Amino acid sequence: MTIKTIFKACALAGAVTLGTAAVADVDPNLPEYSRASGVSGNLTSIGSDTLNNLMTLWAEEFAKFYPNVNVQIQGAGSGTAPPAITEGTAQLAPMSRGMRQSELQSFEERHGYEPYALPVAIDMLAVYVNRDNPLECLSLPQVDAIFSATRLGNYNEDITRWGQVGLTGAWANRDFALYSRNAVSGTYGFFKDNALFGGDFKSSINEQPGSSSVVQGVTESINGIGYSGIGYRTPGVKVLDLAAEEGGDCVAASADNAGTGTYPLARFLYVYINKDPNRDLDPLQREFVKMLYTKEGQEVVHRDGFVPLPESLAAQIRADLGIN
Amino acid sequence: MKAWFRSGTPWIWLTGGALALSLVMVIGLLSLIAVRGFGHFWPSLVAETVVTNHDTGEQTLVLGEITRTEQVPAAVARDAGQFVPEGIELVERVLFKRGNRDQFGQDFVWHLGLTLDEMSFPPEVLAIERREWGNFYGYPIYLEIDGERIETDDPRFRDLTQAAVDRSLDYRQRIRRIERTDIGRTSRELENIRLEERGMQLRGVTGPDLEEAQERFARQRALLEAEFLELRSELDALYASQRRDLLHMRMSDERELTIGFDNIVRVTSPNDITVLAKIVEYFDRVGEFLTEGPREANTEGGIFPAIFGTVTMVLVMSIMVTPFGVLAAIYLREYAKQGTVTRIIRVSVYNLAGVPSIVFGVFGLGFFVYFLGGNIDQLFYQAALPSPTFGTPGLFWASLTLALLTLPVVIVSTEEGLARIPTTIRQGSLALGATKSETLWKVVVPLATPAMMTGLILAIARAAGEVAPLMLVGVVKLAPTLPIDGEFPFIHLERKIMHLGFHIYDVGFQSPNVEAARPLVYATALTLVLLIIVLNLTAIAIRNRLREKYRSDSD
Repeated sequence: MTIKTIFKACALAGAVTLGTAAVADVDPNLPEYSRASGVSGNLTSIGSDTLNNLMTLWAEEFAKFYPNVNVQIQGAGSGTAPPAITEGTAQLAPMSRGMRQSELQSFEERHGYEPYALPVAIDMLAVYVNRDNPLECLSLPQVDAIFSATRLGNYNEDITRWGQVGLTGAWANRDFALYSRNAVSGTYGFFKDNALFGGDFKSSINEQPGSSSVVQGVTESINGIGYSGIGYRTPGVKVLDLAAEEGGDCVAASADNAGTGTYPLARFLYVYINKDPNRDLDPLQREFVKMLYTKEGQEVVHRDGFVPLPESLAAQIRADLGIN
Repeated sequence: MKAWFRSGTPWIWLTGGALALSLVMVIGLLSLIAVRGFGHFWPSLVAETVVTNHDTGEQTLVLGEITRTEQVPAAVARDAGQFVPEGIELVERVLFKRGNRDQFGQDFVWHLGLTLDEMSFPPEVLAIERREWGNFYGYPIYLEIDGERIETDDPRFRDLTQAAVDRSLDYRQRIRRIERTDIGRTSRELENIRLEERGMQLRGVTGPDLEEAQERFARQRALLEAEFLELRSELDALYASQRRDLLHMRMSDERELTIGFDNIVRVTSPNDITVLAKIVEYFDRVGEFLTEGPREANTEGGIFPAIFGTVTMVLVMSIMVTPFGVLAAIYLREYAKQGTVTRIIRVSVYNLAGVPSIVFGVFGLGFFVYFLGGNIDQLFYQAALPSPTFGTPGLFWASLTLALLTLPVVIVSTEEGLARIPTTIRQGSLALGATKSETLWKVVVPLATPAMMTGLILAIARAAGEVAPLMLVGVVKLAPTLPIDGEFPFIHLERKIMHLGFHIYDVGFQSPNVEAARPLVYATALTLVLLIIVLNLTAIAIRNRLREKYRSDSD
């Protein structure tokens, strides 16, 4: 595919006119979205704040096709999504982790079937340090020993000084300023399950209300370390490479490594919908979901700094929902 | 010394000092917000310089606005792996806004001052504000209008570029008009048909009635869809003509890029314009900020929906809280038998003012949204389910929650006002033969109106600045459709709204591009402060008018 055809494809879609570098990361086999008629009304999304900006950008994109649709987005944390979709106060429930058993159960009790989980993008949970920090790589057991009081990762000692992870000079005796998300966040849950091996956080962590406040915290303190979605990266922080086990290979947080699954903290971001197995989706929901799995929708994922889905997966979901 | 104490002078100094300290703090805060907020819109110069990598000797060109600089100890920079020669204690670090996020991945970059060459400000540089991916900085190569190639040294280059931007903005307005009004109407009618159909299903209509209705629906649908297709092709034509003009640009790393004018909001050559042109540009940007909707997940564009939402919510709240608060206060002060019960009620009301506002938010969500709203949906909007109408956070519930929050303020100040009316006035009225209710409604209450207005002013100030409870009951990150429009019933109480306070929180703490969003936080905060001042001044003006009116009446 030449630059010119890509350029043309983008221009035709009414999207951005981009250079090659940007488009190359979105699967070129994804279909283009085509407008349907008779789509109107209110679409409400309540849930994850990692997905907050992504939902907003999708809403802006959706408004280009359906200018009269009113998409309303609220994002206080993944924990707010299950009650919202169970109570019916929202049609879209973005979550940065999968629903827990108890949440699925209360939905099922109310509606008689399980909510439908749509994987919409791939995120990498990055471990950030201050830009002046010379450290390049940490292993997950080390991350566990830094953040966790329980150390289920079996690292042999509690890490409280930067010297313990191999830094020298002024850094050797510096302590950690730990930045974390609050418990309502799915990022918190995912980090706890995967980086802390299900253990508990130290009581000295600073719980922040948003992903970008974690990044800002790390920017402001030289001994800071924190975690957030890769989309929140700024020039004030550095993203560490991660190794899945002690002594393993350091893997950079790049789109390729997320796709192949070698980056240890890659995850899907989900949007849950209330899909009655015996009824079709209403047109508004159907079109929004359809847009997520097209070139337009996945380009937005890329623009927000997350990793877009491959067409193979997108096609599977479109087929499953019968919305081709 | 003793004499000095006895003279009372220390008290004057103490009170004066307290006042001065408060003033300094308030003015300091306001001027910080004002400087940062107003400063954001000034078109800044685009600097060009060469960065040399000390280890490899590699040289790269950097082009961008200088956002800020900071001093760091040389030791810190050395520890971070950067080369700093011996004998230097402090090094300077410069944050460039280099834009071009689609190409570089990040639009801000730090460079150590030591590695930078002399800055230059090339006059040919263009700063392009784009709809997506943020700003673009680069050198123009040529302009392509309708296939015709216009070189940069062509004297018409600048005018034609500007004309292309204007044309694109004009197209955009026409597109919006078609989308909002015409297409909006057809889609709405289609949705109404769908709801009607679903309603019939729910009522269990069968037989010839259903058939006849279905036939009618099909006919209406076909008609609307034909209309929709026609509008669609009209739009497509507009979109196509909007994309006809292209700007070919070169970036600082020699890569070339084509930008369609459909993606351009504004083109400036910041290094080559006069101060007067900058001032014009400045006010243009301020105007856009106040009247346009947000773009790029709220990190760019304007805040109009948030201003509109805040004002609407405060007005709806005032309409609800004033009558309730005033009537409750009148009963409590004038009719109720004063005793233990009234005292308990009064203390409870005072305490209500001390309840954390987030508690009101949780109450609003549980009672108003889930319980009241859910039941309203079951009763009146069943056809639309499972999409909720009132059973979801919205303007009405947000205003109601705030009304509850500010109720104590209104009750207390109304009571105070009623208590201040001298008994002689009541006695005079009664002595002239007026009944108790005539005395109350014709004499006492009018005289107490300024106090009620004071209560309302305090309520407005509190409500407009409140954020925490609103996040739960109806304020959202993005709600591009305003709660008031030309569509029946004009005020849409079920819609969600944007709010300035929440916007500040959201942009400041949750936006992915913090560097780009930071100035917007200050600008939004400034707007919120100014808005509250305007609302208060309006209320104060009304109060003063009332006061004058009743003063002359009672004379």
